[in-house]
This record gives sequence, C-alpha cells and structure tokens, in this order.
Amino acid sequence: MIVIRSARARRILRYLIPFFIIPALIAAGVFLLHERRYALIALLMVLCALILFATGFERKRTGRRRMVLVSVLTALSVAGRFIPLLKPVAAMTILSGVYLGGEAGFLVGALSAVISNFYFGQGPWTPFQMFAWGLIGLIACYLSRPMQKSRGLLLLYGLIAGIAYSFIMDIWTVLWYNGTFNVGLYGAALLSAVPHTIAYMVSNLLFLALFAKPFGEKLGRIRLKYDI
Amino acid sequence: MRSLGELHPLSVFCYFAGVMSVCMLSLHPALIILSLLGCLTLLLLHNQVKARTLAASLGLFTVLTLLNPLFYHDGITVLFVINDRPFTLEALLYGAAAAGMILSMVGWFRLLSRALTNDRLLYLLGRLSPRLALMVSMALRFVPAFARQGQRIHQAQQGLGLYRGDNAPDALRGRIREFSILTTWALENGIVTADSMAARGYGTGRRTSYAIFRFTRVDALFMLFSLALTAVTLTAILSSALKFDYYPALTPPADTLLARAGLCAYSVLCLLPALMEGGERIRWRCLQSRI
Repeated sequence: MIVIRSARARRILRYLIPFFIIPALIAAGVFLLHERRYALIALLMVLCALILFATGFERKRTGRRRMVLVSVLTALSVAGRFIPLLKPVAAMTILSGVYLGGEAGFLVGALSAVISNFYFGQGPWTPFQMFAWGLIGLIACYLSRPMQKSRGLLLLYGLIAGIAYSFIMDIWTVLWYNGTFNVGLYGAALLSAVPHTIAYMVSNLLFLALFAKPFGEKLGRIRLKYDI
Repeated sequence: MRSLGELHPLSVFCYFAGVMSVCMLSLHPALIILSLLGCLTLLLLHNQVKARTLAASLGLFTVLTLLNPLFYHDGITVLFVINDRPFTLEALLYGAAAAGMILSMVGWFRLLSRALTNDRLLYLLGRLSPRLALMVSMALRFVPAFARQGQRIHQAQQGLGLYRGDNAPDALRGRIREFSILTTWALENGIVTADSMAARGYGTGRRTSYAIFRFTRVDALFMLFSLALTAVTLTAILSSALKFDYYPALTPPADTLLARAGLCAYSVLCLLPALMEGGERIRWRCLQSRI
C-alpha cells in the first residue's frame, strides 16, 4: 500500500529523516532549548517516525481493495470505542496486523487514533496514540505466524499491548507537564493510569479471546474469495 | 477581515502551529497568561465556555499545580514540610505555570477543531497524501454507516424473537453475534465499495477535490503575519531572552529589547483572531443599525 506516491520523495525522506532531521532535532534540543522543555521535540520526533513508517509502505499489490479494507477495519474499531468499558481498538489493530500484514496493522492503529479523536477530542496526544497503536499493529505482524497457531501467545500479546500503550502514552504525559523526563512523575502517571491500563488489558483479552477465531475466519474467507 | 473558520486551511494551520509551539517551549508566566487569555476570549466569542467545563478545568488546574511540589523540592521559599521533604513556593508556581500551559493547549486544540473542520483537515491531508486522505474520509463515513447498520441488525434480531426477558449472558452473547454479523457485512460492503471505485475509474487520473479553497491575499497576509510573529517570539525564547528561572528563586529575564519584542509579538499573535472576530462583530452591529 503506497501512502506517499512519489518514489523519489519516499527515497529522500527515508534517508533524510533518520540521518538528518532526527539528529538535527536532538541537536536543537541540546543547544537551543535552555529552558529544558522537550515536549515539542518529542512531538516532532514522533511525527517524523510516523512519516518514516509511511515511506516503507510501497508494495503495490491490489492496492484498492486493501485500502478499503483498512478503512473498514478502522471504522469498526472506532465504532467499537463507543461501547462503554470495552475498548477494542488495540485488539482490532492486533488482529489486522496478524491477518492482513504489518502495513495494514500499522495503518488501522494509527488511523483509529486520529478518527476516534474526531469524536473524543484531538490534542497533542494524538500523534503519540497513533504511534503507540500503530506500533502494536506492526509488531503483531512480525509475530503473526506463531500467534495464528497459539491462542495463548495472542492473548499474552494483547495483555502486553495494553500495558505498553500506557507506558508509551505516559512518557508523553510527563514530557508535556514537566518538559523533561522525571522518573517519579512517570511512576505517578503510570499509577494514576492503572484503572485505564487494567481496562485496556481486560478488553484486549476479552475481545481477542472472543473474536480472534471468527475474525480470522472472516478475513481469511474475504482474502480467499477476492484474492487480496 | 474574516474569522479563523473562513480562512484558508493552510493559514489556519500555520497560525495554530505557531501559537502552540511557543506554548510548549516556554514557561514564562506572561506568555502563558497571554496564551490563556487569547484562547479564552476566542472561546467566549464562540459561546464555547460552559460552567461545567470551567469547573472541570479549574479542578484540573489545581491538581496539576499541586503535583509538581510533591516531586520537586528545589526552591528557597519553603512553605511547609511533608515527610521531611520541603514543599516550596517555587515548585508550586512552576506547577501552576505548567498547568496553565496544558489548559491553554487544550483550549487552543478545541479552537483548532472548530476552525479546521473534518473537510478542511482532509483537504490539507489530501495535499500531502491523497491516499491517506481517502482512507480517513472513507473511515469517517463508515463509522456512522456501521452504527446505522448495527441498529438494523439489532432490530432484525429482535424481530426474530431473540432477546426476550432480562437475561444478561444472553444479551451479551447477542451483542457479540451482532458485532460478528456487522463485521461480515462491513467487509463484504468494503469490497463492493472498492470494486465500484474501480468501475468509476479511481486512480486513473488526477484526483479533484470537492472542497474549493482559494488562497487569497487575505490568507497570505494572515499566514505571513502570524509566521513572522511566531518567528520573533521563538527567536526570543531560543536565545534565552525570555528564560524565566523558577529554581532556586524566581528570576525573571533581564528587560532587553528582544524580550520586549517577543512578548509584544506573542500578545498580538494570541489576540489576533479575537480582534479580527470582534472587529467583524462590531462592523456587523454598525451595518445592522444603519438599516
């Protein structure tokens, strides 16, 4: 799936971001920010990382249907976010990553963050949510073979993803509030997020336990029927 | 003069990027007060301030203010001592500044989502990556469509005579079955959508856009003006002309020309949309009374 159309722009970005823009951001943070407020630097870095991921998406295989499937899965996970208590975004992202590949997993996670925040409120946290969920989907793809075989591993990954999401998001919370990273504040943020973390873990577990198999069958059938 | 919601999406985006990056880079109290003032006036002009949200923001402000002195014990003015750890005035004020910054950012983001509505945001995204914009707009359209289809499935299931009585496990199982039905329908529907797109020639030519935004002189002027103001403020911050030290004692920056220029530029930047909109209101009043 190609997100950035021009091959030249992709190639340039792929070298520019890791070898020039990110070191430049770090240097700017070290030499220019005398007040030690690094939130903006962190935000820009996450945006760069998202663009860098997008440059990697270029396999041109029946793009159209895949593209629509990704938006369907995104919409399903966003619609699921309205169900009280149950937060199926991470679980849907994981399942997309496992059954449709890393690009689809990354995009479903990242786009779900943007689109659900159209309803729940955009903020500077949106890029971090995109990054966290996108990464959860991407990594799910790398473990796709063993996770399709072993249900226990899938559930374990769901649990870890729930915890990892909180860990990534609270880095942002601390940076935003304090400017620099403070372990005490990070601990406090993690502690105050424990109910949410548990909710994420439980809903991931529940959703994966209930839906992994039927969902895999449905996606497998669609892939077989329409050759995606 | 036009209000933010009527300007070109690109200049609106540049304006908000400028205001908010300054907000994230500095904890100078004057800058934070200016930023809070700017977004509050604009929210008031839009009738967006309700008693409940105001109370919630005040609560958040208090919590965030009190959080900092519990973790930072620098500062020379000790207010009292908890567990052998000093609770200092400087840390408290730093916390208040950080809390003010966070509240103003939330306020600016609310204004941003009012000024850059979905279609305008998609227009901007479409310029960067048409494919991504298409995926986002399709997903945005699918969300309410799936909600409606879910309702239909639920009614059909009820019509079949399911969900009688207050049986909780049965209701849960029913919900899961409905979601499963919805998923199947959504996937098939998506394929049909894709094929229909192909039949209509998606991807064969240049994509046109439904929204037509003209970049006029006013847009260019507004964008250049706000970028220039942002640049002045950022120069002042990055050259530490506006470096406000909280620890160990409150030390305001020296009163240099650059510091004054930075403060003036940011005050104009923050109040610019409110002034534009206020001016527009007054002009409308005058025009009305003349009739």
